[in-house]
Amino acid sequence: MHNDANDLLNKEGLKFFGKVNASISHELKNILAIISETAGLLSDLTELARHGKQIELSMLENCSSNIAEEIQRGFRTIKQMNRFAHSVDDFIKETDLLETLDLAIQLTGYLSFAITVQTDFQTKPEKPVLTCPFLLQNLLYQVLCFTYAAVGHNGHIHIRCSSQDNTGIYLVFSSTFEQAFSSFPTQGIQHTADVLGAKLNTDSKFAELDVWIPYTNPKFMTKEHKR
Amino acid sequence: MHIILVDDEQKFVTMLAKRLALRGIHADIAFSGDEAIQKAEKNTYDAAVLDLKMPGISGIQLKDRLHDMQPDLAFIFVTGHGGMDTPEKELVQKEIFLSKPLNIDILTDKLNEIAGKG
Repeated sequence: MHNDANDLLNKEGLKFFGKVNASISHELKNILAIISETAGLLSDLTELARHGKQIELSMLENCSSNIAEEIQRGFRTIKQMNRFAHSVDDFIKETDLLETLDLAIQLTGYLSFAITVQTDFQTKPEKPVLTCPFLLQNLLYQVLCFTYAAVGHNGHIHIRCSSQDNTGIYLVFSSTFEQAFSSFPTQGIQHTADVLGAKLNTDSKFAELDVWIPYTNPKFMTKEHKR
Repeated sequence: MHIILVDDEQKFVTMLAKRLALRGIHADIAFSGDEAIQKAEKNTYDAAVLDLKMPGISGIQLKDRLHDMQPDLAFIFVTGHGGMDTPEKELVQKEIFLSKPLNIDILTDKLNEIAGKG
């Protein structure tokens, strides 16, 4: 019934999982590096104080707030890691599209080439999307990576929802530059979209691309869903 | 000794610069490749400590740009990535490479070696 989704999961799923985990581990290493340097500075200051040097209180306060902030950053990172880990819990399920997009934005934010993403969801999906949540996550992650690379670090992208009927919803990605999305979609993005029944388009100036996600893909419907 | 530390993790380089200052090493800091290039136009450095992966100009690209500006400059690469891609490995194999979190004693030893060579 959904063999192609299974095949894609088997072929690309682990690769995607590994890629995301690598970027999270990089983020955690950066957090630990800051905590380590701050703890090191505290140790240096303690040593100086032991030898009679007057230490400014503001330096200690700065170290303390640095450590507290980085611990919070670590908690936020682990929360995203946990959300991602649970995206494989159900092969097919009713999925909140904006929540999946939010996680993809957070996860791609750990990549060195990530750029600023602005979102404006005045129009929202009418209902959850019946899909393979892990592959949807993968599709949105790939599209975001594509847009970051296409726009470059001096630009930003803007994402909004657009709805024309009740069969699905468009996610519209706008760039700051014309022609930015001229090479969209890549083969990998197209293949993932095909498996999910999603449709991909660009505007004539290639400054905007959209991903249409169906609310219900018949091949993901079980007897229970059809009832 | 005058060095430049380049990393988009602002708190990391700020803390590291303070710790190096306590060890007699004057470190300028830059949070991007572009900022590092601007500073290198105005200052001469003995060494550059570069994050391998940064937004915009990568550490390896920055090394090439800084080398063109200051041919005697020594380089140390730092990264939080567990591993490197094969092309990256080839590009930095002749350079000093340190992993995050840093050991300040190893970094200062490497910098002192560089200063000794000069």
